[in-house]
Amino acid sequence: MKSQVLVITSGKGGVGKTTTTANLGTALAMMNHKVVLVDTDLGLRNLDVVMGLENRIVFDIVDVVNGNCKIKQALIRDKRFEGLCLLPAAQTKDKTAITPHQMKNLTNELRKEFDFILVDCPAGIEQGFKNAIAGADNAVVVATPEVSSVRDADRIVGLLEAAGLLGARLIINRLRTKMVKHGDMMDIDDILDILSIELLGVVPEDESIIVSTNRGEPAVLENNSPAGAAYKRIAHRITGEYLPIPVYDSNTENFIDRFRRILRLAK
Amino acid sequence: MIQIGGYQVQTGIINGGAEKLIDLKAFYTFKEIKEGLAKKLTRAGEFTPGTQIIIDVGRRSLNNKQFQEIEDLLLDYGVHLKKIIAQQCNDLEERSVLVERMPYYTDTIMMSCHLRAGQRVFHKGNIAILGDINPGAEVIAGGNIMIMGSLKGIAHCGYYGDESTIIAAYRLKPTQLRIADHVTRPPEGENENVQEPELARIKLGKVVIEKLKN
Repeated sequence: MKSQVLVITSGKGGVGKTTTTANLGTALAMMNHKVVLVDTDLGLRNLDVVMGLENRIVFDIVDVVNGNCKIKQALIRDKRFEGLCLLPAAQTKDKTAITPHQMKNLTNELRKEFDFILVDCPAGIEQGFKNAIAGADNAVVVATPEVSSVRDADRIVGLLEAAGLLGARLIINRLRTKMVKHGDMMDIDDILDILSIELLGVVPEDESIIVSTNRGEPAVLENNSPAGAAYKRIAHRITGEYLPIPVYDSNTENFIDRFRRILRLAK
Repeated sequence: MIQIGGYQVQTGIINGGAEKLIDLKAFYTFKEIKEGLAKKLTRAGEFTPGTQIIIDVGRRSLNNKQFQEIEDLLLDYGVHLKKIIAQQCNDLEERSVLVERMPYYTDTIMMSCHLRAGQRVFHKGNIAILGDINPGAEVIAGGNIMIMGSLKGIAHCGYYGDESTIIAAYRLKPTQLRIADHVTRPPEGENENVQEPELARIKLGKVVIEKLKN
């Protein structure tokens, strides 16, 4: 199988790029793929914390591109899965410490070893973004159902297209089914109408994500996390399997919801 | 001929819009011409929107920069310059048209694209786009704009001040519309569902939205 470099990006901060990267990477590793997660958020690294690997970092991505160490030395093997590795970002440098050209060489080097290279992109559209997308084959855009997030995602899709990355796919993160049912939140169709790109998956809002992120254990490892289950389905879709996206819209109103809505209207 | 503020002004109706002749033969230097014109425009008061002005400068001739200045001055008063008539000093012909400009938007670009936030299209002529204009995107044209898709971003037609230009869209749901120097936005809070093609143009000094009819 030809290896894939996927950049996970969003434009806006705090929509769940890092959480998505950690969970998709873990889910793909659970499916026995060889996966490396590359954190390009120089100066504000997070992916190592979310993966629970912070205390193992010796070398980082800047050391690798500057030739201070070999790639093998900087890669951190995950404590749970054999085929999962992390290339951490540098905490003391800024985004200008690497160039898009170096990033391209790095991803090409990683292609030899891994099936999936997931690049965690920093927020913003500056140097860090340009670095992250440099070596990518395809992009996954993460957006939450908020106008500001969708606007930024739209801008990002435009920039990706300008950089030759056509066919970016969308993950809608933190969808609150209840709010959508009551018409208080943008629904999936509203978002797709604006972005008009392929939908890769929908991740529902899930409080257990916060717990798992803080503990350094991706949610896909838990069996009863709805978000974890959604990430697992997305990972299957990334490998080319077809899995239908569960319906989260207002047409699935059940009896109790209907009763609640009527009560709410009556107030 | 009618009298406005002691000056003779000729009126006529062409294409539904009024046309006015301003006589500036009495002035010699360009500075005087400008001042005189400003005075006359102020005295004349309100013009009907779309009024076109013909200026007679008598024995003077104007260069391009001066022409531009007069055009700008007229735009400040909300009127357009149609032509400037000048009488050459030793010319046997009594009057000759010194400058008569064609509209600058005779050429049109057509594009098939999905304009996303942060993207901007500018053209000095007309723009026709097959695709959507997303919120945060901008389309700016010297002439008219036609969108075969949803217009959700910003559109600006008549960028150089022509108020006769229009914006037409299959679904007109803009963040903001600009026609010449008029800026409008949809009424706040109203989230009406547009179901048919519409066009925006200036009517009696205001931007109006109309259904697209044939």
